[in-house]
Amino acid sequence: MKPATLFKQMRKGLDLPQAVAEAERCLLCHDAPCSKGCPADTRPAEFIRKLRFRNITGAIRTIKANNILGGACGELCPTQRLCEKECSARFAAQVRPEGADRPIAIGKIQRFLVEHAWQIGFKPLRKGAPRSAKVAVVGSGPAGLSCAAELAQKGYPVVVYESRPEPGGVLRYGVVAYRFSLDFLRNELEDIADLGVEFRCSHPVEGPAAAEDLLKQGFGAVFLAPGLWAAETIDPKAESMPGVFSSVDYLSALRDGRFKDMAGRIAGKTVAVIGGGSVAMDCVESAAKLGARDVYLVYRRSYAQMPAEPDERVEAQEAGVHFLLLNQPTGYVAGPGRRLKGLKLVRTRLGAPDASGRRSPKAVKGSEWVLACDVAIEAIGNRPAAGSRAWYPHVKLTGDNLIKVNSKTGRSSVKGIFAGGDIVRGPALVVQAVADGKTAARAIHRYLSE
Amino acid sequence: MAKTVDLSVDFCGVRFKNPFLLSSSPVSNSAEMVERAFQAGWSGVVFKTLNSDRLPIVHPSPRMHYVNYGGKRAMAYQNVEQISDRPLRHNLLELLYLKKHHPDYPIVASIMGFFEDEWVYLAKTCEDHGADMLELNFSCPHMCIEGSGHKVGQAFHLLERFTAAVKRAVSIPVMAKMTPNITDMTEPALFAKKGGADAISAINTVRGISEIGREDWVPRPNVFGVGAISGTSGPAVKPIGLNFIASMARCRELGLPLSGMGGIETWIDALEYHLAGATTLQVTSGIMHYGYRIVEDLIEGLSDYMALKGIGRVEELIGRALPHLQETDHFDLKRQGIVRYDLDRCIGCGQCHIVCADAAGQAVEWDSRKRRPRLVEDKCLSCMLCQAVCPVPGLITFREMPAGWKRRETAVRDSRLEPELKHEPFTKEGPNECVA
Repeated sequence: MKPATLFKQMRKGLDLPQAVAEAERCLLCHDAPCSKGCPADTRPAEFIRKLRFRNITGAIRTIKANNILGGACGELCPTQRLCEKECSARFAAQVRPEGADRPIAIGKIQRFLVEHAWQIGFKPLRKGAPRSAKVAVVGSGPAGLSCAAELAQKGYPVVVYESRPEPGGVLRYGVVAYRFSLDFLRNELEDIADLGVEFRCSHPVEGPAAAEDLLKQGFGAVFLAPGLWAAETIDPKAESMPGVFSSVDYLSALRDGRFKDMAGRIAGKTVAVIGGGSVAMDCVESAAKLGARDVYLVYRRSYAQMPAEPDERVEAQEAGVHFLLLNQPTGYVAGPGRRLKGLKLVRTRLGAPDASGRRSPKAVKGSEWVLACDVAIEAIGNRPAAGSRAWYPHVKLTGDNLIKVNSKTGRSSVKGIFAGGDIVRGPALVVQAVADGKTAARAIHRYLSE
Repeated sequence: MAKTVDLSVDFCGVRFKNPFLLSSSPVSNSAEMVERAFQAGWSGVVFKTLNSDRLPIVHPSPRMHYVNYGGKRAMAYQNVEQISDRPLRHNLLELLYLKKHHPDYPIVASIMGFFEDEWVYLAKTCEDHGADMLELNFSCPHMCIEGSGHKVGQAFHLLERFTAAVKRAVSIPVMAKMTPNITDMTEPALFAKKGGADAISAINTVRGISEIGREDWVPRPNVFGVGAISGTSGPAVKPIGLNFIASMARCRELGLPLSGMGGIETWIDALEYHLAGATTLQVTSGIMHYGYRIVEDLIEGLSDYMALKGIGRVEELIGRALPHLQETDHFDLKRQGIVRYDLDRCIGCGQCHIVCADAAGQAVEWDSRKRRPRLVEDKCLSCMLCQAVCPVPGLITFREMPAGWKRRETAVRDSRLEPELKHEPFTKEGPNECVA
């Protein structure tokens, strides 16, 4: 199969009989741990019970009313450490041999219900009775979309500003398409647009005090959710070196008009991806699918310390990726025309746990070596765009240039300005961004009702 | 396993190598099918009901439906199939074939007529073509023709007359098949006995509606826009079948051997029908769902059970539940108990708490920190609803409490309303049964 085709095919979801059968396994707990485990309060116990009693439309309503990106979360959430973590069905196996030893596949049921709604044309949400106060949302990623949908249901006219040509943020430009397809995203976005949310794309809110000025342009409140789009790097000087990409560049290229170009740069080449998180796994797996000759995952700690989910690590291994563990990248080796020739590494040993609780890597003296490679992709984290401080000069920030908010309300230090998502938390999950959007929307509603 | 087990049964003088027969239904429609059933292990057949070709039999289309329970397929079947639509000559050829090639497998011919001469004609013809026994179909619940099927089963004098006529005409044993669409089956069974029946078989299908279409509002099966109240069968009807078999088995005046059916799928169902009083057992729905092969598990399961229990012959099981079967006024109400929880095995789902709060005595409190139930013993009603929903088998059990133990009375919500009571206690003496 051609890479272009392969990348369009998202993993198939459950069908109705499969979803019903899975819901049948649910023990319908009294104080369901699954519902407590969802950051966005998507209420799995409630929608599974509704499915179990064949109230399918009700189940869809529960999801969409509580999590406007329920489909995306169902597919992308690390459910095994959220809703499915304490699922009672997991424990049933210990006492009931015929019972399965796995939690209810909550994420899969959730995705099914959302897709089923699209299939049968069921739209559970309504615009609220119109209100006069307008709200501006900066950024159309998960946090912005969630806030916009929540406010639109309360009747507020909402305008979402997006600097890129299409809405979706990380869902469009930060995830590979075979994990989350464009069609799926379009459906999810349509549910939001149906609520009357207005999208202004290719419309960056940048420049001196641009974000704060929205309050002077007729908006009663502003929600800042621009995300983190500047990449951390192991070598700031390497930015312009041909063959070195940030994960943001690389993954974005696979989602916009540059797919063919990027695919051509990977096919047949030796690719080194730096990092051990979910994004790094997306990078290595996609590079393997694009036909790279060899793909190395370079990580300074060991397997157990990787932040990526266990199933993502296994998928990367199954894709044939070399896991180069306990190796710390220190810089790049350039060849003719500054073109990348190799990655400088030093071997590490695990030392005492650091602040994250994971054992820290200690460089082994004299073990420096160079991994020959044609392409390097840095997936070691993102930070706010350079100069973003000036776009909201009165908003208090942390040392890392993240926006400081009251975590219960999303209120920033400036009256009328709220924020959420990665710009507040640093790199976080889609479902956490959804939660932030909801929290802020409710606080904005209270603020505008005062 | 010490004892050798003999599953063979004597039924009205006919010997079956095990108690398991195909019942008269789609599963016994042709010799080709029945032959394969014999090869699978079924001991005999009640062949699909024959008629005299006088009235054309056309099966509606589609002819069956089913009731699913959650993810479980077909807890019940629904069918509007009629008696055999094959020419009588063909059916008789099938009887001849089976007799010739499988002489050790008794053939019970099921017949249905509409008046005496027709019943007699069919009975004699079947006897002449090798039937070892007859089953008179007084019970098909969805025959379109007035005066047939279960309508005869409800008209007791007709039932007696037709039985007597058949009995006069043939020398092979005659069994009458009863409809469950009636309150007390012993009554028509006694009429059949008066007519000379040698045995009773029950139950035919229960009149029901399996499903009504959500889009078209037509009961299923949807026969081109029309549904009908028709025969429900399968595991869902087993409690009804056991009721009628046990009721007839303990009726001393009746005293006829019984052929039991209704929801038999496993050897455990079979055992229960034997314990309730049935000698032979018939199966259709189980085969409609799983095929003839289930007889292997019926035979092996029942044999091993009997061997482990030291029971050598099926006869030793028949009716053995009856001494334990009483009217509810025989219960010893002085003895009371409660549930016991083995919390070491609890997985913390809390379903016990929900059902106790909403359907019982509010005796199961919930420790939301530990996610474990806490039983308030003197509020437990011993209803066992918590056991019904608990996902861990054997976690919740029943135990008897010592003599003198008292259950707490259900609390009155607000006894301050006492002054507003207007009622006087009822003091009139009267009989303890309903009188007009």
